[in-house]
Amino acid sequence: MFVKLAVQSLLDRKGSVLLSLMAMTVSIFVLLGVNHIRHQAKDSFSNTLSGVDLIVGARTGSLNLLLYSVFRIGSPTNNISWQSFQRIASSPKVKWAIPVSLGDSHKGYRVLGTSRDYFRYFSYGHQHALAFDQGRVFDQVFDVVLGAEVAKKLGYQLGDKVVLAHGVATTSFSLHDDRPFTVVGILKPTGTPVDQTLHVSLQGIEAIHVDWQHGVRIPGRVNSQKEVEAIDLQPKSITAFMLGLNSKMATFRVQRQINNFKQEPLLAILPGVALSELWQMMAILENTLLLVSALVFVAACLGMSAMLLSSIREREREIQLLRAVGAPPGFLFMLVELEALLITLCSLILGTGLLMLSLLLAKDVLASHFGLFIKTNIFTESSVYLIAATIMASLIVAVIPSFSLYSNARLGSRR
Amino acid sequence: MTIELSNVRFHYPERPKRWVLNIPSWSLSAGEKVFVHGPSGGGKSTLLNLLSGLMPASEGSVTILGQRLEQMNSRQRDRFRANNIGYVFQQFNLIPYLNALDNIRLARQFASRKKAGANDNEIKALLSALNLSEKDWRLPARNLSIGQQQRVAIARALINKPQILIADEPTSSLDQANRDVFMSLLMSVIAENNMSLLLVSHDLSLSGYFNRVDDLKEINHIEGLA
Ligand SMILES: Nc1ncnc2c1ncn2[C@@H]1O[C@H](COP(=O)(O)OP(=O)(O)OP(=O)(O)O)[C@@H](O)[C@H]1O
Ligand SMILES: [Mg+2]
Repeated sequence: MFVKLAVQSLLDRKGSVLLSLMAMTVSIFVLLGVNHIRHQAKDSFSNTLSGVDLIVGARTGSLNLLLYSVFRIGSPTNNISWQSFQRIASSPKVKWAIPVSLGDSHKGYRVLGTSRDYFRYFSYGHQHALAFDQGRVFDQVFDVVLGAEVAKKLGYQLGDKVVLAHGVATTSFSLHDDRPFTVVGILKPTGTPVDQTLHVSLQGIEAIHVDWQHGVRIPGRVNSQKEVEAIDLQPKSITAFMLGLNSKMATFRVQRQINNFKQEPLLAILPGVALSELWQMMAILENTLLLVSALVFVAACLGMSAMLLSSIREREREIQLLRAVGAPPGFLFMLVELEALLITLCSLILGTGLLMLSLLLAKDVLASHFGLFIKTNIFTESSVYLIAATIMASLIVAVIPSFSLYSNARLGSRR
Repeated sequence: MTIELSNVRFHYPERPKRWVLNIPSWSLSAGEKVFVHGPSGGGKSTLLNLLSGLMPASEGSVTILGQRLEQMNSRQRDRFRANNIGYVFQQFNLIPYLNALDNIRLARQFASRKKAGANDNEIKALLSALNLSEKDWRLPARNLSIGQQQRVAIARALINKPQILIADEPTSSLDQANRDVFMSLLMSVIAENNMSLLLVSHDLSLSGYFNRVDDLKEINHIEGLA
């Protein structure tokens, strides 16, 4: 009866209740959304690679190197020479080395030139190795291995022909259309930028650039596929490379050696350290966003309280009546608190529903444009705490109208 | 004695100097049907609020069914009222957005013991006895006519089988015909349930239904007070 009274009373004031419900819903949407994305962004970034001890590229900011080599965000400033790579890769301290060559794309998805070691040593999340859904590693110059998302979105099958484009824009006019690649493998989904990537051999990257110079096709020079394969496709430069060392203890020493490399200015970074630099940069922004959304929520709570308070003025007769049939003031206090709770719960349901729906819709865009892999399940530990906090906050703020009603009711029975 | 007042004085807390009631002695015995009349603003509603324990007297003692209200705390008074006193007002007797059944269930909510038989069947029997047809039971109270609302109000006042029924101008918003229907209905349920009735109104034409008629002016002596 108690709950029914509260529900019916809210339904009776549909208009104003609906407005505060909407305000609450929007604020909860924003609050949970900001919180979720900030946690997921971290998770997603930290899960993108594991087991890589050092990333080496041309001298640039360490964040920049991390972002373009691993997350495919931004673009490399300079390449590094193949000789330097080989020198470092052959050092006895190095267990494995994966070259990375970026700069081409296919329908908005980035193309990664690398070696076969990539499929053996690269791992993501908690030491998950890459696995093939279908097919195998590339071994011909014009073989390509697709990330799960690329294959799914573009509907490619093994054996399909793929034309790569120069540059990374979604619609590129400089197609390497004379040198199509054949799909030989499709990877299992990883929830990392790997899913959005087409993998070819370094020779493949060289091959499509044989008659290109400075990003422009040299007119009149078109070599056939066969001719190109005959040319020496030893790469002259790569974008970056990842290193796994025999001993973690040596990481800092190797890093120092690479940073002092004589032949060429190089930069070696520890992915974990670069990531935490990124978090530090983001922290202020992140906290500001969270603070703002918390304030928006408090504003919505206050709005709801104002609505409840003004409803109490309208309900004076109702209150008198409830008192006459024996309702104690405490009952009336709880009644208003319950109304606040019901509004908050409805808003939570609507807000989380809306959030999950929007994440579902925005998921692909976030993944392909920002390398962010967001889970649509928002019920993580931190959001559960946040939900509990919103309920608490709304109950606390609703004390104002509840107490006003309580003291109204007690007025008569004051001794 | 069902109701007994002695040396009761009352003023509203926010107006300490202005006495509304000063009743040296007044009582009502079991089974009596008493009509108290007085002019508007004379303090009739205030008196009923003291008797039902909605407000405590400023001075003196109010004894209902042998229990002194001023010795109870506010919670006990609320419970006591729910158990022993049925209340019918002039208007706004019902929560407008709840239907008749729920309005009555709500009153049952606050009584201490779920009195035997006070289940939904009892409510329905009561509503039928009060001539409210079944199709109106589930309408929001605001959609009922005033006459229907007053009948639901009687049912609501009776549901906890109180010993005392208090009515504050229950007929003022009814027309002549409905007023007669209402009064005879009220009298018959009072007689059936062996209750005491205290009804206040300024409408002297109701006097005929009662076995005692009091003029508030004669009970209430506020003239001499500062
Ligand atoms: N809540 C209140 N606060 C202060 N004064 C009040 C309050 N309620 C009533 N009064 C005053 O107490 C006096 C008695 O009022 P009361 O309502 O008891 O009269 P009444 O006999 O019921 O009148 P009516 O026939 O119009 O209903 C009036 O002078 C009124 O101004
Ligand atoms: Mg009155």
